[in-house]
Amino acid sequence: MINMKIARYQPEESAEPFEQSFQVPYDASTSVLDALNYIKEDLDPTLSFRWSCRMAICGSCGVMVNGVPKLSCKVFLRDYEQGMLLEPLAHLPIERDLIVDMDAFLKHLEAVKPYLIDAPLESENTAMAHQQTPAQLAKYQQFSNCINCGLCYSACPQFGLNPEFLGPAAITLAHRYNLDSRDQGKAARMPLLNTEEGPWSCTFVGYCSDVCPQQVDPAAAVNQLKVESAKDMLIQLFRGNL
Amino acid sequence: MTQKAKLKRSGEPIWWALFSAGGVCFAVFIPATIVFLALLMPLGVVELSYSQASTWFFSFWGLLFTGAVVVLPLFHAVHRIRHGLHDLKVQHHGLVKALGYGFASVLSIVCLTFWLLGFLN
Amino acid sequence: MSYRSELTRTWWLKHHAFKAYMLREATVLPLFFLLLSLAMGIYSLWQGQNQWQAWQLIMGHPVVLVVNSIALMASLYHAWTFFQLFPRVMPIRLGEKTLSPKVLIAAQWAGVASVIGLFAWLFRGAL
Repeated sequence: MINMKIARYQPEESAEPFEQSFQVPYDASTSVLDALNYIKEDLDPTLSFRWSCRMAICGSCGVMVNGVPKLSCKVFLRDYEQGMLLEPLAHLPIERDLIVDMDAFLKHLEAVKPYLIDAPLESENTAMAHQQTPAQLAKYQQFSNCINCGLCYSACPQFGLNPEFLGPAAITLAHRYNLDSRDQGKAARMPLLNTEEGPWSCTFVGYCSDVCPQQVDPAAAVNQLKVESAKDMLIQLFRGNL
Repeated sequence: MTQKAKLKRSGEPIWWALFSAGGVCFAVFIPATIVFLALLMPLGVVELSYSQASTWFFSFWGLLFTGAVVVLPLFHAVHRIRHGLHDLKVQHHGLVKALGYGFASVLSIVCLTFWLLGFLN
Repeated sequence: MSYRSELTRTWWLKHHAFKAYMLREATVLPLFFLLLSLAMGIYSLWQGQNQWQAWQLIMGHPVVLVVNSIALMASLYHAWTFFQLFPRVMPIRLGEKTLSPKVLIAAQWAGVASVIGLFAWLFRGAL
């Protein structure tokens, strides 16, 4: 048995979050998500949490495990015999128990125009419409692996201090599209990325990349975008557009 | 689109560029500078007489030295202190910026002025 | 209805990654002291022989030596972290491949070593 402390928040019951402990049986393959489902089914049906694929690809089950942002389906109780505290993802408003309000995250994702813009069709045959060499793909592929789990936002102290900061995932996504050879939308994205809320709020703490379950390295993307934003300022300066 | 009118370009690239250049100098030039000028020389392991130092410093090399070892690292330091204070939730962002970069600019100009005066002599 | 909490001033004490970050940022504090020392040195050099000697004496004061030694360690910790960040900010491509970060990091340390070598050569007669 493992002792799991869970940070609860039931707004209709009390205005403040509270902690509750559960004794959970486990074996070598029991994940935190398994444990949460066990608690909900056998101990306390009021416990609320998000999950879906249970195999670390949907990005739904983000949670803080002993203060570290993780996917609950990918954390195993066998590694936490000393005890475990589960809290909702940091830096986001708590809706209920381990469920957070992802609106800020979703708003920032949308704001960077994360889609191909004016990508010229190379053929009327839809199967051949967009072509790309392996080298062109390699330029942005790592940044396209994001599963929108939000762990990087919980890791990022700059987002924690200022939720207006676009944040690691959104800026990485913008950079992913800027680097895509099919895309013509960089000019449409840069005005937002050139603001204080773009990469300029980042101080390269780098913890976002540490917690990313997909090894996207958002810190690299955000800081590469600083270079692009600086180049953009220089270019506009020379053109007299500043 | 009205969205564009609301988006204000940040002036941060300028300070970040100085910070980056200063960071390179901090990493590459400062260790040697400390070892020789701040440790070995005061401890008497190496000697730098006044005539050697002034001949060497009040030349073109002194300008490079001032730029790479004093001015750029100064802007690097001030930029990091400014962001560090922000991280510690100090809210006077404008004041910190003005004091920080202001001090770095003034001290840089002062050092460059002394170099120039010595160089012209 | 949703519960919002604010980060406190001591958020960085909560995880070693944040403490390491704050330490990295704090490396500029002893650097600042060193830069003020160097500025004083420039001023003293301009003023003349006596001031130059006086500056060297001040630089030999135990407290000054200690702080500048800390600045040396700080500059090396800064270099250690900075050199790792640089390949991530500006990945260098040669044709199809990206240069390995290890190569870039080694090259930067080689730069540090060559500057030390340069200073050693400049001071060669002065030992």
